[in-house]
Amino acid sequence: MKQTAMLFLCLVFLFWTAPAQAADVGPAYAVVNCKVVPVSGPVLEKGTIVIRDGLIEAVGPADKISVPEDAEVIDGQGLTAYPGLLDAHSQVFLEPAREEPSGLGRGGPPQPQPAAPQGFTPELQAFKLLKPTKAERAGLHRLGFTTVLVAPAKGIFAGQSVLLNLNGDKTEAMVVRQPVALHINFATERGVYPSSLMGTMAALRQSFLDAQDYARHQEAWQASPRRFKRPEYSPFLESLLPYVVGKRLVIFTCANQEDIRRAISLAEEFKLNVLLSGANEAWRVVEAVKKARLPLLISLSFKPPLTSLYANQGEEVKKKAEDEIYPANPAALCKAGLSFALTSYGLTKVDDVLKNTQAAIKAGLPREEALKALTIHPARFLGVEAMLGSLEAGKMANIILTSGEIFEEKTQVKKIFVDGQMFTPEKAPPAGAGPAAVSLTGSWQGKIVSPMGEVDISLELDQQGSQVTGTATVMGNKRDIGEGNLSGNALAFTIQTEIMGQAMSFSFQGTVDKDVIQGSMATPMGSADVRLSKVPQD
Amino acid sequence: MKTRQLFFLLALTGLIMAPALAKGSDLLIKNGKILTVTRGVLDRGDVLIRNGIIQAVGTDLQAPPGIRTYDASGKYVMPGIIDSHTHIALSGTNESADTDTAEVDMADVLNAEDLSIFTALSGGATTACTMHGSANPIGGQNVVLKLKWGRPSQDMVVSEAFRTLKFALGENPKRANRSDADEARYPQSRMGVKALIRRELLRARAYMEQWDRYLAQKQSKNPAVLLPPRKDLRLEALADLLRGKLLARVHTYRADETLEFLGLAREFGFKVACFEHIPEAFKITPELKEAGVGTSVFIDSWAYKIEAAEGIALSAAYCTRQGILVSLNSDGGEGIRRLFNEAGKTLRYGRLTEEEALRLITINPAIQLGVDKIVGSLEAGKHGDLAVFNEHPLSAYARCDLTVIEGEVYFDRAAYLQEREEAAKRAKAPKQTGGAR
Repeated sequence: MKQTAMLFLCLVFLFWTAPAQAADVGPAYAVVNCKVVPVSGPVLEKGTIVIRDGLIEAVGPADKISVPEDAEVIDGQGLTAYPGLLDAHSQVFLEPAREEPSGLGRGGPPQPQPAAPQGFTPELQAFKLLKPTKAERAGLHRLGFTTVLVAPAKGIFAGQSVLLNLNGDKTEAMVVRQPVALHINFATERGVYPSSLMGTMAALRQSFLDAQDYARHQEAWQASPRRFKRPEYSPFLESLLPYVVGKRLVIFTCANQEDIRRAISLAEEFKLNVLLSGANEAWRVVEAVKKARLPLLISLSFKPPLTSLYANQGEEVKKKAEDEIYPANPAALCKAGLSFALTSYGLTKVDDVLKNTQAAIKAGLPREEALKALTIHPARFLGVEAMLGSLEAGKMANIILTSGEIFEEKTQVKKIFVDGQMFTPEKAPPAGAGPAAVSLTGSWQGKIVSPMGEVDISLELDQQGSQVTGTATVMGNKRDIGEGNLSGNALAFTIQTEIMGQAMSFSFQGTVDKDVIQGSMATPMGSADVRLSKVPQD
Repeated sequence: MKTRQLFFLLALTGLIMAPALAKGSDLLIKNGKILTVTRGVLDRGDVLIRNGIIQAVGTDLQAPPGIRTYDASGKYVMPGIIDSHTHIALSGTNESADTDTAEVDMADVLNAEDLSIFTALSGGATTACTMHGSANPIGGQNVVLKLKWGRPSQDMVVSEAFRTLKFALGENPKRANRSDADEARYPQSRMGVKALIRRELLRARAYMEQWDRYLAQKQSKNPAVLLPPRKDLRLEALADLLRGKLLARVHTYRADETLEFLGLAREFGFKVACFEHIPEAFKITPELKEAGVGTSVFIDSWAYKIEAAEGIALSAAYCTRQGILVSLNSDGGEGIRRLFNEAGKTLRYGRLTEEEALRLITINPAIQLGVDKIVGSLEAGKHGDLAVFNEHPLSAYARCDLTVIEGEVYFDRAAYLQEREEAAKRAKAPKQTGGAR
């Protein structure tokens, strides 16, 4: 009895003297005299935001919120505070695409369907592929992004995404939630099953059925190990279980209106918890989308998909559609009473987020809806509404201070807080200046490895800052490259060509590492791997 | 190139202006020569469509006020043309990475923006069975569509149609004509094709029996604690074939292997909906008749590969007269707008009657696809699907002027030409001002 009392006293003593938190308490800030757009409530013309230990401690009208003594005061005169923007489908920070398994030979009698078809990698974690660069982070900060959902890009079951706060270089410290969702693309494999979209659909169905079957067997066996034979362990099906049986988020990337229909039918058939991403043709099937009641992560890429009639009538019609028709997608969805997130998915340059949001606004999307689509809506869809998406006490201190209305062309992000840490966005390096990480100028030679075989490719490139121009020669045909852009070591460009009278565009995305360019080329026939080496100069 | 561009611009307009109604519409076709196909010919008659359904075919029909009326004086009205075998409106035709892909379903890969839908309408086609290709002995499941251009693809699917599964025999599945077949794939011979199909059917039978046992035990008075067998979509489709829920459509050229397939059907007790292409059908008419299996063929296209060497132009007419249910098919996006020309050839090759010839592209394919209760002829109670031609549709001078599906006009040549003219003006305008190239 006496001992217990002593122990109790000791504990009380310890409790009183121990600091309430670990030693590395984040700094405290008070942003004063700024206009506050909390998104979740009315705009405050003159407000104060108190930030402490990574969270918003208080937010409100200037006369109601007192500034703590220990807080560093940031004068927000003339600035507007918004919640940090959330990009709910991004592919930043990813290492160059993983090595594709080489195609299996097709000799001999066909084997029964394997449990996991070729290229199905649901276990792949975007988190493990992260290689954040300062340049990419700075680019996102400049646009006002504080949070991104990074998803693996390739494959049918592409893998699982991670939600990151853009607070530094350490990936572990950036993680808000891991994993977030399973990402599925309506893609195909090369030469091996499924080599066509119809095969992909069947293989997806079979995988979902197998996961359900596997769960049933595991459960039965674990309950009665003496009655049932032990089911064979499957890492593939194990990684599907939380999504198919556990109903965690599944994100289908929908390149066109038919993909939307496919995703909706799979969601209904297998009762999956689905978000539709991409979906820049959602306006064309708005009734079906409305009926399905699935959250939408709408791409800000306004390029008509390859299936679209608008994409198959020459450059003029395609350009017109990209400039005038597809930007109205968000407005049309809004008009139909749907709420959605806007994402950078499919954009070759992240800077186009702002430009294309402006285009969507011009096409009729109300500004406040655009803001919600980049803050509270994605936060809600991803299940992090309690901590992100608006300026409210208790939420993560992800805040941007802008020089004006956020979507105005001239507006700049002056300060950005991520997890309560303050950053000052650097100005974008002007074209032609700034230290380029790599030098592209010169001749490059290599191969395009496509499902149809290998083709030689050579490039003559001229790099001025982030701008890349030049020519590409494939099978003796020389074409100018367009939309060439180098950001950090990420290279993107397109090649316009004509095949049998049809204008076609091949877009390359990849990375540059000293003397090697590596990446993949999206072609109307599917994706192909590209690898080029720099031709040494004498 | 210029006309091509114009055409595309046009099609674009067509897409935007496509009807928005989900339900059928009302329409009265007046004073045309009505080729009902199943109920004879009305020299001067009307067709009244209400809510997408034919309410009456007759003379001097009175339309309630406000109903759209089309004057077909001097024109010919026939049922909407049905293509029993094509590959349009799809993203992909084959899943060729395996030799049995019974699990794939063409309904999963529809593409509502395939321009072939529009061009098919311009030739009076309103219904088509769009199918898996012939790259493998057991292909995928086919789907029947109404060619409702401008509407979402799911609105086009005809759910009343038979469920069918594509099989392929001969040169295509054994890849005889592929110069790019770098790797050998089993099967490489006709015997291999048959053996593979047989092996898969045996697997399917065992699978079906496994499920039957499971269901029987589960429903017994003292059910044992059982787990259901794994559901395998490939075997499930083949088991449905054995259960009679799915019918076979068989790409075949030679008479001998056709007979062998009929043997397989007898052995396993499944049904064949029809044989595809089959240029040698005329050699085995008694067997086809006995089996009750029809054909879906071309008229005068043969000798484009070895196994097609022995085709004859008289085959369709001959088979028809032998009591076999024959339909004509396009096999793709080009022929589908000329099926009436194809039917017209049987007047010359084999002297079919006009009605017999029209049957090849209307009620016969409807019967083969399992949709003859709703389409294939102009009769009260059927869908209001029809085509209006300037001349008799079997004439070489025939041109389709109007195509209607469920009372809705999906192609109107006059309106189309006017649109084209306007599109040409629009396309010209910026050039004069030195605008876009």
